[in-house]
Amino acid sequence: MFTYTLKKLAMALPLLWGVITLIFFLIELSPGDATDRFFTPETPPEVRQAITEKWGLDKPAVTRYGIMMVNLLQGDFGRSISQERPVFDIVLDALPNTLVLSLLSLVVINLVGVVLGIIQAARQYSALDGGLSVLSLFFYSMPGFWLALVLQLVFGLWWPVLPTSGMIDPVMHDFMTPSQQTWDKLAHLVLPSIALGVSSAASVARYMRSSLLEVIRQDYIRTAKAKGLPEYVVVLKHALRNALLPIITILGMQLPFLVSGAVLVESIFAWPGMGRLIVQAIFSQDTPLIIACFFILTMLVVVGNLVADLLYAVVDPRIRFE
Amino acid sequence: MPITAPSSRALAPLLRGLGLTLPLALLAGLVGCSGSGGDGGPTASTGGPTTSQGPGKEPTVEELGGRRDALVIAELSDADSLLYAVSQSASDAALIANLNMDNFEATFDCSLKYEPAFYESWTWDDTHTILKVKLREGVSWSDGKPVTAHDLKFTYDLVADPVVASPRQSMLEKMVPGKAPLVIDDYNVEFHYQKAYNTATMLQHAGLAPSPKHVLESADRASLRGNDFHKNPTTTGPWRIDKWEPDSRIVLVPNEKFSGPKGMTPRLNRIIFKIIPEYATRLVELESGAIDLMTAILPTDAARLKKSNPELSFYRRGWRSSDYIAWNNFDSADYKAQKETAKENLDWSKVKRHPIFGDVATRRALTKAIDIDKLIKDLLTTDDGEVYGRRAVSTVTPALCDTHNNDITLIPLNVAEAKAELEAQGWKDTNNDGVLDRDGKPFRFTLLTNSGNARRNKAAVIVQDNLKAIGVDMQIEQVESNTFFERLRKKDYEAALSGWSASLAPDMNPMWHSGEKYEFNFTGYSNPQVDQLIADALEEPDDAKSNAMLKEAQRLIYEDQPYTFLYWMDEIVAVHSRFKDVRVDILSQYRRMDAWWVPANEVKYPQ
Repeated sequence: MFTYTLKKLAMALPLLWGVITLIFFLIELSPGDATDRFFTPETPPEVRQAITEKWGLDKPAVTRYGIMMVNLLQGDFGRSISQERPVFDIVLDALPNTLVLSLLSLVVINLVGVVLGIIQAARQYSALDGGLSVLSLFFYSMPGFWLALVLQLVFGLWWPVLPTSGMIDPVMHDFMTPSQQTWDKLAHLVLPSIALGVSSAASVARYMRSSLLEVIRQDYIRTAKAKGLPEYVVVLKHALRNALLPIITILGMQLPFLVSGAVLVESIFAWPGMGRLIVQAIFSQDTPLIIACFFILTMLVVVGNLVADLLYAVVDPRIRFE
Repeated sequence: MPITAPSSRALAPLLRGLGLTLPLALLAGLVGCSGSGGDGGPTASTGGPTTSQGPGKEPTVEELGGRRDALVIAELSDADSLLYAVSQSASDAALIANLNMDNFEATFDCSLKYEPAFYESWTWDDTHTILKVKLREGVSWSDGKPVTAHDLKFTYDLVADPVVASPRQSMLEKMVPGKAPLVIDDYNVEFHYQKAYNTATMLQHAGLAPSPKHVLESADRASLRGNDFHKNPTTTGPWRIDKWEPDSRIVLVPNEKFSGPKGMTPRLNRIIFKIIPEYATRLVELESGAIDLMTAILPTDAARLKKSNPELSFYRRGWRSSDYIAWNNFDSADYKAQKETAKENLDWSKVKRHPIFGDVATRRALTKAIDIDKLIKDLLTTDDGEVYGRRAVSTVTPALCDTHNNDITLIPLNVAEAKAELEAQGWKDTNNDGVLDRDGKPFRFTLLTNSGNARRNKAAVIVQDNLKAIGVDMQIEQVESNTFFERLRKKDYEAALSGWSASLAPDMNPMWHSGEKYEFNFTGYSNPQVDQLIADALEEPDDAKSNAMLKEAQRLIYEDQPYTFLYWMDEIVAVHSRFKDVRVDILSQYRRMDAWWVPANEVKYPQ
C-alpha cells in the first residue's frame, strides 16, 4: 500500500505542473496585473515603472514562468503582491478554516445521504421513498448560493436562532467560557455546512438508494433473507458494505468539490477560508496567491482520490494494491 | 484603481459596492481622516436620512460615568495596511485615522479646511513655496516614545522609496527632493515645494501622518504591507488594535496611553470591524441587529429598512460618486497602432478621430436624447419619493460649492432636436431599417460597462432605449471589472458607462489634460484652452482665481461633451440610533469615533 501511495503521489506531479502552467498563462492572458491596484490618476509614470519592476512584472511572461517554476521546485511559493506576505502564511491562515467547514460538511453529507439512501431502498416505492426522492431532487437541483441566502433569511432574520456570518460572535466571543466558545464556533458552522453539503447529501442519497437496490437483488442477499435473518441485519451487515463502493468513489471527489463550492458559500457566510481567498486573489490578479490556491485544490483532488482508493481496500477485501 | 466599481479595496480591494473602484477615492481617504462638518445633508428629500450630528457636544467620559458599549461595523473587505505610506483604500484610511492623530484636523465646508492637530501651527514664506510647520510637543507613540520631526521625515522617505511602491508617491512630486520635508529640529520642519501651487493641494501633500521611525527603521521596505508591525501597530491615536484576525474581524480598544487632547478620549469600550463581503449578508445582519453600522445601502433597501427597523438612523454622505458615459474621441484601432510605435511620445493630434464620437455636435445630440432625469428617477429614487441622485455637469463634485460650476446651462432632453442635429450631420435612415446611416454605414456602436454593477447595467438599458428612439443602435457589452478598466486606459472602446469617486482637493489634470501622461483621460479629450486653465489652476495659490479657472474649464468641457455626465449619488450609511454624536459625512463613512457615545439606558454590550 505504501508503494501504491507513493506511486499515486508521483503521478500527481505532471498533473500539478499542468494545472500551474495553465493557470499561470490564463492569468497572463487577462488584461492588467496585480500592480494596477497601486495606481491612481496621480501616480507618476516613473513610479509605475518602479512598482512594476519591483514585482518583476516588466519581464516577459516566459521568464517569469521559469523563475516561478524554479522557486516552486524549491518549495517557495513566493510573496503575495496584494498583501506582501509570504503566500504560504496566507494560505495557512485560510486553509484550516476551509478544512473544518469541508470536513464537517463531508460528515453531514455522507451520514445524511447514506441513511436516507438506505431508508429509501429498504422502503422502495413507498410514500416515504417517493417523498424523500422528491426532496432529494429538490435540494440536489438547488443552487448552493441561493440556499445560503434563504437559510440566512430564515434562521437569521425570520427565526433568529443561528448566526449568519463569520466563525465566531465578534462581540461576545472574547467574554465566553471555553465551552461557550466551542458552542459559539459550532453554531457558526451550522448554516454554511448545510448550504455547502445539502446538494451533495441529496446526490449521495440517490446513489446510495440505487446501489443498495442493486445489491439487494443479488443471490447472497436472497440467501441471507432465506435463512431468516432480520431485514436490518440483511441490509446493514450484508448489503451495505458492497453498496458503499460507489459512495466511496464519490467521496474521493467530494473534498475538492467542497473546497471549490466553498468559494460562494464562504463569501456569503463571511467565512475566512480558501474560497474567499481564491476570490480575492483572482480579483487582485495576485498570481503567486492564485497559483498557491490552485496548487492546494489540485492536491486535494489527488489526496481525495487516494483516500477513496485506500478505502476500497477497507470495504472490499478482494481489492489489493500491487 | 480608478473608476467606480464595486468596491475595490483593490481592484480587489476595489471593485465592490459601486461598481469599479474610483481612483480618486484614495485621495478622499487620505483627507477623510478627521474633522467635522461635511455635506452630509439631505438635498432633495423630505423625511429622508438625518445628517451627522455636529462635533463638540458630546459628554466627556467622566460625565458619562465611564466607557460603555461596543460598535460593530460591517466592512466588505479586510484592512490592507495600517501604514499611511502603503495603505490603499478609503476604509483603510478611516481605520488608520482612528488609530493615529492626524497632522491636520480636516473639516469640510464647501471645501476642505485644515485646522491644527499634530501640526500645531504653520506659516508660508513670501514666495508661497516653503511651508514651515511647528509640531505639537508631548505627543507620544503607544510605546511611550515621543513623536518628532524625525518620524515625519522617515515617513516621507518611506513613501519616496520606489521599493515601497507607495500609492502616495504623488504627494512628493511637487516637493524639492531632500526637502520633503527638511527637519529643522525635533519639532520644526519645512516642506519645500518646487513652485507655488494651489494652497489646498500643497497642504494636502503635507498631510502624511507620521509612522514610528524607531519601530520601522530596520523593517524590510519591500514588504511593509506584510510587516509584523500590523499585528500590534505602534500608534498615536485614541484607539489601538486589540485583535486582528485576517478576513474575520478587527477589534479596537481605547489606547490607554493616548497623549492627545482630552476631548479625544474614547467613550465606547470597543469598536469591532466585522468583515462581510456580501451585501445581502450585511443587510441581514443589519436587520437582525448583529451589526450596528453599514455603508453603501441601496436607496430601495434604505426605504424598506426605515419602516422595518425604526431603531436605525440613516445618514447621507453627500455627492461623492458619479456615473458618466464616455465617448471615445479616438479611433481605437488607430490609437493602438500609433501608441505601439510612439509610446509615451504619442502626439494626440495625429490620432485619427472616431468616425462618430470624434465630433462635438454628435456627442451633444446624443446627450440631448438621453433622459437623465429618468435615470435618476428609476435608479436613485425610492418609491416614497426620496431622491439620492442629482444631475452631473462635471467631474468636480457639487459638494465643492466654491469650485463646482453651478451656472452651466444643462443640455435639455429634446429628442426632436437630437434627431435634427444628427440629420444635419448627415445621419439619415435611408434604408428604412429604423437605424440611421451615413455613407452606407449604420449608426451603430457598443457601450462598454462592467459586470456586477446592477445600477450601471440598468442605466445602460435605459440609455439603449433612449437612443433607439432617435435611430441609434447601441449594443451593450459587459466585461469583468479588471478588463473594463484596462480597456478604458487603453482607449479600447467606443463608448463606456463608468464612474468616478470625486477628490475633495480638485485637480482636473489627471482626467482632462491632454497627452499620454494622463491616461485617465479615457476619451482622448483635448482642448488647449482647458489644458491651460487646469494646469494654471493647479499652480494658482489664490483659491478664488483657481476656482474661477476650474469653473471655466468645467464649462468648456461640458460644451464639448466628451462625457455625457449622468448623475451624482448620495451614499447612505445606517447606524444604530443608540449611538450619539455620530460623524458620517463626505470626508469619511465613519470618523472621529472617539466622540461617539451611548446613553446608559441604551447600552447593548455592557462588557
